[in-house]
Amino acid sequence: MTEKYLAQPDLGFIAQVRGLGGETLKKCYQCATCSVACPIAPENSPFPRKEMIAASWGLKDRLIKSADIWLCHQCGDCTDLCPRGAAPGDVLSAVRSAAITEYAQPKFLANAVNDPKKLPLLIGIPAIWFALLALITVYGKETMTSIFNVFGISWSHAHEGAEHVIAQADFFSTWFVDMTFVPIATAVAVIFILSLKRFLTDIHENAVLEGKTDKMSLDYKAILQALVKVIPMVLKHDKFNECESNKDRATPHMMVLYSFIGLFIVTSIGFVLLYIAQMPGPYSQLSPMKWLANISGVALVIGSGLMIKNRLDKKEEQKTYYKDWFILGVVFSLGLTGMLTEMARLAHMAYVSYFFYFLHLIAIFNLFAFLPFSKMAHLVYRLTAMAYAEYGNRK
Amino acid sequence: MDKKKYGVYICTGCGIGDTLDMESLVAVPDDEGVNCTTHPFLCSKEGVDLIKADIAGGKVNCMVIGACSRRVNFDVFRFDDCIVERVNLREGVAWPHSRETYPMLTEDQKDDEEHFDPVQMKAEDYIRMGMIRLEKVKLPEPYKTASFSKKILVLGGGVTGMSAALDAAKAGYEVTIVEKTDKLGGYAAQMRSQMPVVEPFESLRAPVVNDLVAEIGKFSTITVKTGTEVARIAGQPGEFTVTFKKPGEKIPFDVPFPLPEEMKFDDKGKELDAAAQHVKYLAYNEGRVDILTLDPDGELYGAVILAAGWRPDKIEGEAFAHLGIDLADVITNDEFEKIAAKGKIVRPSDGKEAKNVVFIQSPGKNEDDADFEYAGSVTSQVALKQAKYVREDYSDGKAYIIYQHMRTPGLQEYFYKSMQQDDGIFMTKGAVTSVVQQGNGLAVSAVNTLLGENLAIKADLVVLAGGMVPVTKDDPVINLAYRQGPAFRDNEIFGQYADSNYICFPYETQRTGVYAAGAIRRAMTIEESMEDATGAALKAIQCIESANRGMAVHPRSGDMTFPEFFFQRCTQCKRCTVECPFGALDDDEKGTPKANPTRCRRCGTCMGACPERIISFADYTIDSIGSQVKAIKVPSEDDFSEPPFRFLALICENDAFPALDMVGLNRMDYSPNVRFVPVRCLGSVNTIWIKDALAQGMDGVILIGCKHGDDYQCHFIKGSELAEVRVKKIGDALSSLALEEERVAFAEVAIDEYDKLPGIINAFVKEVEDLGPNPFKGF
Repeated sequence: MTEKYLAQPDLGFIAQVRGLGGETLKKCYQCATCSVACPIAPENSPFPRKEMIAASWGLKDRLIKSADIWLCHQCGDCTDLCPRGAAPGDVLSAVRSAAITEYAQPKFLANAVNDPKKLPLLIGIPAIWFALLALITVYGKETMTSIFNVFGISWSHAHEGAEHVIAQADFFSTWFVDMTFVPIATAVAVIFILSLKRFLTDIHENAVLEGKTDKMSLDYKAILQALVKVIPMVLKHDKFNECESNKDRATPHMMVLYSFIGLFIVTSIGFVLLYIAQMPGPYSQLSPMKWLANISGVALVIGSGLMIKNRLDKKEEQKTYYKDWFILGVVFSLGLTGMLTEMARLAHMAYVSYFFYFLHLIAIFNLFAFLPFSKMAHLVYRLTAMAYAEYGNRK
Repeated sequence: MDKKKYGVYICTGCGIGDTLDMESLVAVPDDEGVNCTTHPFLCSKEGVDLIKADIAGGKVNCMVIGACSRRVNFDVFRFDDCIVERVNLREGVAWPHSRETYPMLTEDQKDDEEHFDPVQMKAEDYIRMGMIRLEKVKLPEPYKTASFSKKILVLGGGVTGMSAALDAAKAGYEVTIVEKTDKLGGYAAQMRSQMPVVEPFESLRAPVVNDLVAEIGKFSTITVKTGTEVARIAGQPGEFTVTFKKPGEKIPFDVPFPLPEEMKFDDKGKELDAAAQHVKYLAYNEGRVDILTLDPDGELYGAVILAAGWRPDKIEGEAFAHLGIDLADVITNDEFEKIAAKGKIVRPSDGKEAKNVVFIQSPGKNEDDADFEYAGSVTSQVALKQAKYVREDYSDGKAYIIYQHMRTPGLQEYFYKSMQQDDGIFMTKGAVTSVVQQGNGLAVSAVNTLLGENLAIKADLVVLAGGMVPVTKDDPVINLAYRQGPAFRDNEIFGQYADSNYICFPYETQRTGVYAAGAIRRAMTIEESMEDATGAALKAIQCIESANRGMAVHPRSGDMTFPEFFFQRCTQCKRCTVECPFGALDDDEKGTPKANPTRCRRCGTCMGACPERIISFADYTIDSIGSQVKAIKVPSEDDFSEPPFRFLALICENDAFPALDMVGLNRMDYSPNVRFVPVRCLGSVNTIWIKDALAQGMDGVILIGCKHGDDYQCHFIKGSELAEVRVKKIGDALSSLALEEERVAFAEVAIDEYDKLPGIINAFVKEVEDLGPNPFKGF
């Protein structure tokens, strides 16, 4: 007999899940068709039947702390077969958003990301910030050069005059761009580390309570080893490919994932080239780095474009909510503005290129700065949950 | 009918002519000097016209129709002022027994004293049996009561009673509503809301009571007697004499009770004679007039609608101790409704707001999943409704429902769905193991829930889903001045509900002319009760109109026969009075039975019971069946070197006989040596028929009827049960004749178990064949 569980329904949580796309959460009558239909649920206490009753009872503690909600890949098989239209896939997706919000700090940012009314603010702040940086880059060249000279570093990475190359550095100082994004990336990393610590403790506690693991304590080293085992699975989209209903979603998702990996590599190399090799861009279209960058950029646009198309086509079967549109919008604009910037530059349309780069920077800001708060955070939580499941022998 | 003129008509269609030797068959009536006509398609217009021409020509008024089962073409072969006997040559002979299994005899085999044709023998016996029956029965004459009233009495002024009264009044009948309390409305008048009744079945509405009361006021044909109850209802449908009184009053026309069983014996344990018992009975009921005396001031009614309703169940005792029933904040759904009707939901203990309410539907701990007694789908729906109250009163209110069964039949499923959608309503299947005080509130524990094994909930208030107890459990209510007593007898089988067979005969109670509706029949909602009321009102009207024409109401609708007594030979044994499942017979101080024909359902149980065999119906008598039995030819060794066995089956015409027809329809074979005689009910089987059959050399007798016991299907409640008892008793008599008990058997079959019938019949035949032939054969 398991320990007695004191159920304390949270009406606020129910409203939150409804708002995040789990509108149907109360429709479930517990027939468990979903758990049978799910191609990836483990045999021992399979999801999402138990998650559905916990959701309709507003049992926030049980859901937020459960690793199972992250093992779900929202195939949609359960939603398709649900006789009551309770859409377990959508409910779980909403619960995941709620979990992201719960673990992310600071809270106000987390709430802002999920609130359509705050969108102008989320775009406006980086827009003003980058506009300001552009103004300084363009009009404060002398001042900045003299300030930088004090420290013995060169201000501009632009190719002054001689070669007549259009470089974004003429408009947005690379220093400024990196001085914006390096601290943000650091902050994001810190936020994730803090969240993950709590997250791991919680999912472990929940797994022990519900008998979903054979491990009694958390062994971080073993979890890291499990992570190494899980990564190839993620790269191959093994779980995603087990889905029936949403099989067509796996390919675009894979494209986006790989393009992000590609772009991450490109960005890292660029960083090294710029600051260590002192070779500022733009780089030749013939360089392998540029190849990778271009392929990744195209893949990102196509992948996210397909995702958007899929969702528009399937309006009836798969409900799409603000949280989904937000992240899809960010990713798509990121890819698109990046490609447009490059194309305008190659077409020698300097100011058009600067403008797209401005938009591109805003998109990057939205992606990076809000990473721990948006749906994009699933990257971290799902990976962790999958690693934990591997570690805890969740079968 | 002045003089009986006989005729036999045999149809040769539907395979009858191909299976049977028509020449020999026609010879059977011919030998008796009765004209026999064959026709290839008797149920066609041409065929029927042939019979009609003979009737019109004065040639015939009593006819055997040898064709299909009497259960088909019933109206085709119905002729006014004629006695028609349908002989079942199709489903009973030609269809089950094919010539592939039983080849026709060749010319050489005929009369060689070795070969015989069992199928032809069966057909010829059936024609003989049909002919003799025509000789023995009479055309029924309808019974007329001395006085007659078409007024309808409604007991109970709640939603059901008012609805029934309105329906009956709208159909043109005068109605009187009797209500014990001082105003109409019943329980519904004390409720906050009732379940949704219209699409989309999502919102509660005010109870309909006031609308009904207002509508009743518009009918001059409805008389309302509040603060009144029935002291007694005497007489019979069509002429019930009803005495009213104020509740609690003692008057001479209060109904007398029958003498309790233990008072019928003297000190030595010997049963007192009728006269002595009557003296005791009078003393026992001192101050009350005997049932046979009619109240001269009584009012006359044709039929009664019983809508006396229910009372909330009391949940008490050790069995419910784990639910904390002694705690002030553990209440029943009835108590909760009363709190809700007064205003916001508050706790009885301190009057504080109750925002967390747990509704418990099933008390069985983890041992069984039964709901509370007398609960039903209505208690599920009430829990949903009351959960809604919590949400109506408090935006942060939470209502929990822990159930083993959540029953929301029909469109109430939408109500369930809408309640599910409410954010503050939480439901789970589960077994509640304890309710205890915890601090200022309550703690509810449940196991085996949808949320896991072991669940705890904090509550301000706990509501138990008490059932709706039919008032007939506590009190006779109808107070019938019947010899069998004022209440429904043997009511345990119905859980004390006023019922007789809720599947086949809704509304019908065990007393003809008394029709139950609403929660006295089973736990039901207001909506269901109102629909039920319509049914009962129609039944009451049917009863009045049938009784007025001297016909049975049900199940033998239209039957104009009724029991007739040959009193000179009555020994006043009272067996008929006691055994009648419907209390139709009263007896006087000497024990002489008094028939009340409009109470009677014509099952013939009295006829089966009578040891003197003095009870008969116009077309159904001891002699008519006895003669049919005697008309069966029992071949002996004088006829054949190895004579076939011969069996009699007395088969109930309600379910077993249709099942046998289905056996024929499906061309399933069984022993052709069994002769079936349909009877009205196994209760009407008089053991003399069995004795006669064995005495004339038949090898065995089997009684086939409906199931009895808890899962009973007997159309007359007690018939097959009584028959089984009688068959057991006959065993002793058989052994005194050196006959084996196994020669008389009893079998039960449901109407849908036709596929089992051949097995049952053949097993019996085999068992008796193993015993060997009846030693009395040939005497």
